[in-house]
Amino acid sequence: MQATASTGKIVASALIPLVILGGMIAFLFWPGNDILNFGTPLPDVTVERIEFGERLITAHIRNTGPETVDIAQADVNDRIRPAAIEPSKTLERYGAARVVIPYDWNEGQPYEVGITTSDGTRFAGSVEAATMTPKPDAGQVSLLALLGTYVGIIPVLIGLLWLPFLKQLSQGKYMFFISLTAGLLLFLGIDAVVEANEISAQTVAGSVGGAVLIATVTVFSFLGLLYVSERLVERNNQQKATIAGASSVALMIAIGIGLHNLGEGLAIGGAMVAGEVALSTFLIVGFTLHNTTEGLAIVAPVARQKPKIAYLALLGFIAGAPAIAGAWIGGFVASPIASVVFLAVGAGAVFQVVYAIFKFAGGKEKLLSGPVVAGIAAGMILMYLTALLI
Amino acid sequence: MLQVMLSAKLLLAAVVAAAVLGTAFAAASLGSPAQAQKEEKLVQGHALESYTTTGDVLDPEHQDTRANPAEIDPDRYLREFNYGRTSTLPDGTTMREFTIIADDKQTLEVSPGVFYNAWTFNGTIPGPTIRATEGDLVRINFINNGSKPHTMHFHSIHEAQMDGVFEVIAPGGQFTYEFRAEPYGLFLYHCHVQPIEEHIAHGLYGVYIIDPKEGRPDADEMVILMNGYDTDFDTENNFYTVNGIPFYYMHHPIQIEKDRLVRVYLVNILEFDPINNFHLHGNVYNVYRTGTGLTVDESTDMITMSQGERSILEFSYKYPGTYMFHAHKTEFAEKGWVGTFLVKE
Repeated sequence: MQATASTGKIVASALIPLVILGGMIAFLFWPGNDILNFGTPLPDVTVERIEFGERLITAHIRNTGPETVDIAQADVNDRIRPAAIEPSKTLERYGAARVVIPYDWNEGQPYEVGITTSDGTRFAGSVEAATMTPKPDAGQVSLLALLGTYVGIIPVLIGLLWLPFLKQLSQGKYMFFISLTAGLLLFLGIDAVVEANEISAQTVAGSVGGAVLIATVTVFSFLGLLYVSERLVERNNQQKATIAGASSVALMIAIGIGLHNLGEGLAIGGAMVAGEVALSTFLIVGFTLHNTTEGLAIVAPVARQKPKIAYLALLGFIAGAPAIAGAWIGGFVASPIASVVFLAVGAGAVFQVVYAIFKFAGGKEKLLSGPVVAGIAAGMILMYLTALLI
Repeated sequence: MLQVMLSAKLLLAAVVAAAVLGTAFAAASLGSPAQAQKEEKLVQGHALESYTTTGDVLDPEHQDTRANPAEIDPDRYLREFNYGRTSTLPDGTTMREFTIIADDKQTLEVSPGVFYNAWTFNGTIPGPTIRATEGDLVRINFINNGSKPHTMHFHSIHEAQMDGVFEVIAPGGQFTYEFRAEPYGLFLYHCHVQPIEEHIAHGLYGVYIIDPKEGRPDADEMVILMNGYDTDFDTENNFYTVNGIPFYYMHHPIQIEKDRLVRVYLVNILEFDPINNFHLHGNVYNVYRTGTGLTVDESTDMITMSQGERSILEFSYKYPGTYMFHAHKTEFAEKGWVGTFLVKE
């Protein structure tokens, strides 16, 4: 009885501030209460994605303003065009619509699609070079899968082949290389945050709060993976497996890189649709070089053990395959918000991996030895240089 | 025991999640049959391209979907000449009296679906066409019904105090403009309160025609006034029109007769863009610059005018059919300044 009463008190003390807050909000929103209504809420419409079809241009738009808007007109390159809007020209807050404009567009040319709301304000989005938007048919699915394989799986597997080399290194040199991988991943994480911010600034509305969304998701992803990884290591230690600590770190690195590659694949698929990326051999080579270093990161912690080939291949697959899924999502469906979120998840994941590597290495030597500092610096520089190729 | 409780909680969470998802799916599937019943509409592009939709159509070029087409009526405006309430003064002079009310509080649908705070003379854009004969006495009873000061500034010859520039009429105020109609020609009037660009761009303008005493040859007469709307206030026009509504004469062709003389009183009141022009298909026209002479200045199919310029154009069509006319600054044409003549036998 005593316990029930105190629980009731606790619940009440938790609810009282909420009730008062609710009362205040109800007062402010009460019909006819105009004390805080001043100024005109400005409409905001974001053109999230522009697709090119057979004599059609389709713009995916979203109402990112504070109130419901009516769309009055559409234009291409600031010239008014007949258009259809589906499902409706009225967009609720955060509501989306497709604006389909019959238009005989030219391959490779830049286009701007404008949307005029009922108050005469125009909002626009653009693509740098028009190209037929891939349809999710067998050809496109396999093309994007091939792209994902080149960008994700193959380079990671190649990187894994450094295992025999790492095995023969002295402790100091080994620490250098393991720190090198930390540097590589640190660079990848920063790169993902920067890229997410770029996408957010270009195509995500201000009201979504792209920069703080990225920060939130990155921290969330970092903490979530850290928690999982600590539990995993803990469990393996309980089972007294001698190599478990190292292979857990390797697995977590593979998962982290996998999440990162999902974001990367998404960005590549999305960029292909936007016509921003010419799919050249040069680009593939650049990405391959860039991502080969990811294999090194996976294999470094287990270099002192004798991992099975199949296990290594599995790790490579976990790290690389998400690039394929990412390319599909980015190529066929994703909105820029999804790209931003996935890039941020990937960033948090690789930061977690960097942390795990430090912890792993720190167990054997003090944190900032000469080889560690040199390794991190070399890793970041190496990534910067290979990134220049893309 | 603890584990049992945990798994019970997990089960509860799973059930709640399943219920929420199930409801969402049910709601989504309820919505789709309603959409399937919607009729299909065709959106026609400019050449071969087209698209069939179950959504809404945004097409100011092929249809006038304005809720109240009478508030800006290019058909009515085209041939509506206002001669005023006429009376004869003791010396035999004809006096023409007009009442013009300025307002700046209206919101008009200036293009289908686009609502704009229009400033108007007599409630619409453009203001009424005022017409007199050379030598008449013109009296304008001007009432400012707006919330800002306004005036009426007439082009043509008059006394300084009738110029509508320094005598600003406050909201609720009145003024009587009075002057002789001279010389004959094609003029305009507009508000001259600063910022002038703002007062004109919002819609405070109209056409003022002074006929020569001996008159002009009989013709099918019409006013074509070229204007624009800067609906997002970035000092660039979003819409270009003739007689007030973009693309209007594309879906409402101006009907004229074959071989009949057509006289167009062409006025350019466009703001922000330094030039505007008028190109006629399948014909050439005689140009009387400012209408102040009776001899032809040039024959052309293409006249370019600066802000505030006017010309009288005369032509007749040799062959029946539909002929386009538009700004040959084609950007303007694709933002609404385009129309058609339908020439009938």
